[in-house]
Amino acid sequence: MIYSADSQVILSLCSHLGLSSQSDVSPLSTREWNSVARRLYANTIQPEELLHIETSQLFDLLDQDEPLIKRITALLSRSGSLAIELERLESLGIEVLTRADTDYPVRYKQRLKENAPVLLYYSGERALLGQPGIAIVGSRNLDEIGQLAAQFVGNACGLSGLVLYSGGARGVDNLSMTASLEARGNAVGILADSLEKTIRNPEYRNYLEKRELCLATPYSPSASFNVGAAMGRNRLIYALADYAIVVASDFEKGGTWAGATEALKAKWLPVFALQHEHMPLGNTKLIERGAIPFPYPFEGHYSELQVWLHSHSPIPEDDSEQLSLFS
Amino acid sequence: MTDKYHTLQLLKQMLGTEAQFRPGQWEAIEAVAIKKQRALVVQRTGWGKSMVYFLATKLLREQGAGPTLLISPLLSLMRNQIEAAERIGINARSINSDNQQEWSEIIESLQGNKCDLLLISPERLNNPDFLNKVLPGISGNIGMLVVDEAHCISDWGHDFRPDYRRIVRIITIMPKGVPVLGTTATANDRVVADIQSQLGQHLLILRGPLDRESLRLQSIRLPARAERLAWLAHNLHKFTGSGIIYCQTQADTECVADWLVERGFSAAAYHAGLKGDGDRLALEQAFLNNEVKILVATIALGMGFDKPDIGFVIHFQCPGSVIAYYQQVGRAGRALEKAYGILLVGEEDEEIQKYFIRTAFPKPEAFLDVLQALKDNDGLKLYGLLDRVNISKAMAEKVLKILEIEGAIGREKDLYFRTPNPWRYDHDRIEQVLTLRKAEMAEMQRYVDHSGCSMSFLLKALNDPFAGRCGRCANCKEQRLPETVPQTLLTEANEFLGKIAIVIKPKIQVSADLLPERVGRIPETYRNQPGRALSNYGESGWGKIVAVNKYENGEFSADLIRASVDLILNRWSLDPMPEWVCCIPSSRHPNLVPDFARTIAAQLRVPFLSALRKTRHSPEQKLMLNRSMQAQNVINSLEVTGKIPRGPVLLIDDIIDSGWTLAIAGYLLRKAGSGVVYPFVLAKATGRTG
Repeated sequence: MIYSADSQVILSLCSHLGLSSQSDVSPLSTREWNSVARRLYANTIQPEELLHIETSQLFDLLDQDEPLIKRITALLSRSGSLAIELERLESLGIEVLTRADTDYPVRYKQRLKENAPVLLYYSGERALLGQPGIAIVGSRNLDEIGQLAAQFVGNACGLSGLVLYSGGARGVDNLSMTASLEARGNAVGILADSLEKTIRNPEYRNYLEKRELCLATPYSPSASFNVGAAMGRNRLIYALADYAIVVASDFEKGGTWAGATEALKAKWLPVFALQHEHMPLGNTKLIERGAIPFPYPFEGHYSELQVWLHSHSPIPEDDSEQLSLFS
Repeated sequence: MTDKYHTLQLLKQMLGTEAQFRPGQWEAIEAVAIKKQRALVVQRTGWGKSMVYFLATKLLREQGAGPTLLISPLLSLMRNQIEAAERIGINARSINSDNQQEWSEIIESLQGNKCDLLLISPERLNNPDFLNKVLPGISGNIGMLVVDEAHCISDWGHDFRPDYRRIVRIITIMPKGVPVLGTTATANDRVVADIQSQLGQHLLILRGPLDRESLRLQSIRLPARAERLAWLAHNLHKFTGSGIIYCQTQADTECVADWLVERGFSAAAYHAGLKGDGDRLALEQAFLNNEVKILVATIALGMGFDKPDIGFVIHFQCPGSVIAYYQQVGRAGRALEKAYGILLVGEEDEEIQKYFIRTAFPKPEAFLDVLQALKDNDGLKLYGLLDRVNISKAMAEKVLKILEIEGAIGREKDLYFRTPNPWRYDHDRIEQVLTLRKAEMAEMQRYVDHSGCSMSFLLKALNDPFAGRCGRCANCKEQRLPETVPQTLLTEANEFLGKIAIVIKPKIQVSADLLPERVGRIPETYRNQPGRALSNYGESGWGKIVAVNKYENGEFSADLIRASVDLILNRWSLDPMPEWVCCIPSSRHPNLVPDFARTIAAQLRVPFLSALRKTRHSPEQKLMLNRSMQAQNVINSLEVTGKIPRGPVLLIDDIIDSGWTLAIAGYLLRKAGSGVVYPFVLAKATGRTG
């Protein structure tokens, strides 16, 4: 993959690639990059041009304090080692999208605005990111109904040409994703775990090779799972899909609850919660807070799922944005 | 002060006040250090490319750029180069597998921005330690990338190296502002065009004349090995100074070096089979210091190996292409008035080159089998792979290397796994390259028989626009070294070849689940003693006689028996002596080896016993391509029979291939109560490797 000059600058500034773990220079956080990007935008300067600007001028241009300017200069000057690291990732099947790429998922920018991840590492078919589809979320430990529901939704997505979005973890994610893929459909997993490690899983590798699956993460591909990462990526699952179905959630604890309440509040997309006799407390409470009940077992044919979700969704408040999602 | 003047002053600091730019040097420096271009320099070795990258590094560092990364197959820079660089304040370091103890210090100097030039091998770019520890230490950007021996980028080149593909991809990802300098002494138009297409059309090509004005070339056909050995003994003393003798196989380097040492020359064999980079570096150093006068080497003698006062380069066998020949012979006479390049052409050369071509690319099935095995398993180590796929270890390593470079597999430490990147076998490309290799072989033969100027033939093949009649070669001057050898020397050389005994090293490592002991090693008490082979199979002398006797005459001749007994009694110092003899049974030739072994036993005056027998008709051992398959095949098909004497035994076979038959037979005999086992074979089948 050829990285554009703008993307290379963003990668130098915001990724850990080519930095040692003990390095005293850390890459820019999303917030820091946003503030730099705003200044660049205001001055109609492309990120690429940062490479050719004297340090002294950077102070005026970026209006940042000295430590940050120093970090920026240090980070920018590592394009050589960055290239070596990018090449290594590419040989493993991993590439990166930056906010400056035309292929970067539009929905992230529309829905997450400045919280859209600056970098997205991915393996497999990147064109799947943001295609019409259903997000499925829920805890790793599922009861039997939850398992059946996860498989049903995955299977329905696969058979009706919708992308199944999930977190690519064990439990509900894996069940639904596999169901979609085995039905010759597509799936996207937004990982909180190491991308480098996950793509070695023979179960996924085959689908990645056939480009029926895309696994992506905003975190360094070698970084292993941590709870903070799991929380942060939940919104990235919701923000790509047309509908979200919460299979099982705890009440007021855990990533599923946090992600679902955030999505309900942000109104990115209609959020459904699995409704059945033995549903967990979290599901009940989510429905109380505005999640749309999704009765299970589903009464219609799998091919009616999309229509059903559409007809049970509220009328979108912001037509201009939502329209683009269905076009 | 102009840039050029300033740079010239630096050059004088390095080399002395008399120094001037060689033609093309300034242009190359200007291209990368001033204009920040990407340039490919095609200049003969010894032209002074190191001056170019030292000076360019200096200029770039003065402009505040980061250190230069020099990617080179060389293990390290020459001491005199490092010293020259130091005179202009350039701190040049190298990182290789042998100097790990220096790494932390080098990382420190990189972090402190005190290292100006770092030499690494292309393989290093693939090394996790380098990527995680050293590379991030480069504070500031890589200021310039130098790719030494850039012809290795092109698979049209005579010496394509898969690792160089990775360099190309890195350069493509790298921002345009980082200058790139490729250097090579051996690139014809086709290779240059290929490099250009891979590195971008903006690549600036700087070509110089490739003629080496001190070199006197001559080609001599001498079919038999003995003739060429005799020729060396007869003529070497005519050359002054030190020199290199190139052989195409490791076995030949050992043989030629032994012969020369026996004749009183200061010679040593140099090849990839020497243990570790350290031994090779030590040998290179001894040669540089003229402590060893003649290095008998395979092409493993590093590209770019730079000794300015090499007086002669003699080829004991013919290389596969004119380009390869030019590169090797071009090591001679870099700083001498007069040097010799003598090409001896033998009867076995074509066979060897055909073998190299045949094995240059692993077969498609090898790739597919390896990929399938990796796909079926969640990652495998090399030996795990060999348990599942019937290919040789060397071939497996080649396959893994290519697949890794092409992104089809990844590696974590020694564990290989399939990546999601799609992969296919590029039939057309490989066919094209093989056709080209055959054409190159034919061109080499035309060189040998060319009656016009030899140097101009070489230069034209390299598309050197400056090529002309040299006036120095044997054809131009009609002044030749003798092309025949004295009969007495020839007889001695034949006797020498007849006496060669090859040591068979005992096998130790086995797959953990092979033996009932369930350990990864043959227990020490069950291991063979070091054995002997009378000859290399098929080579002129005994090796050829063994082949003819086995497949045409159906019995081994009295001469072979005499030579074998002579080796066993007079040239082996066996202690204790064998008290009985047995042999490896064969269902294909049931009497051949037992008859031979029985005669040997009679001459040694000890009993012969048929102590081993076949349990079933197993596939021929030579069809088993790696040790896992070989060992498995033997252990399934051999068993001990009858009462086994407690004394030491001479275990005889005709030809040793992998060595597993003898290793397992020895193991079975020892377990059945025999004394120590001495393996003896008539010939060793030689895999041909560099």
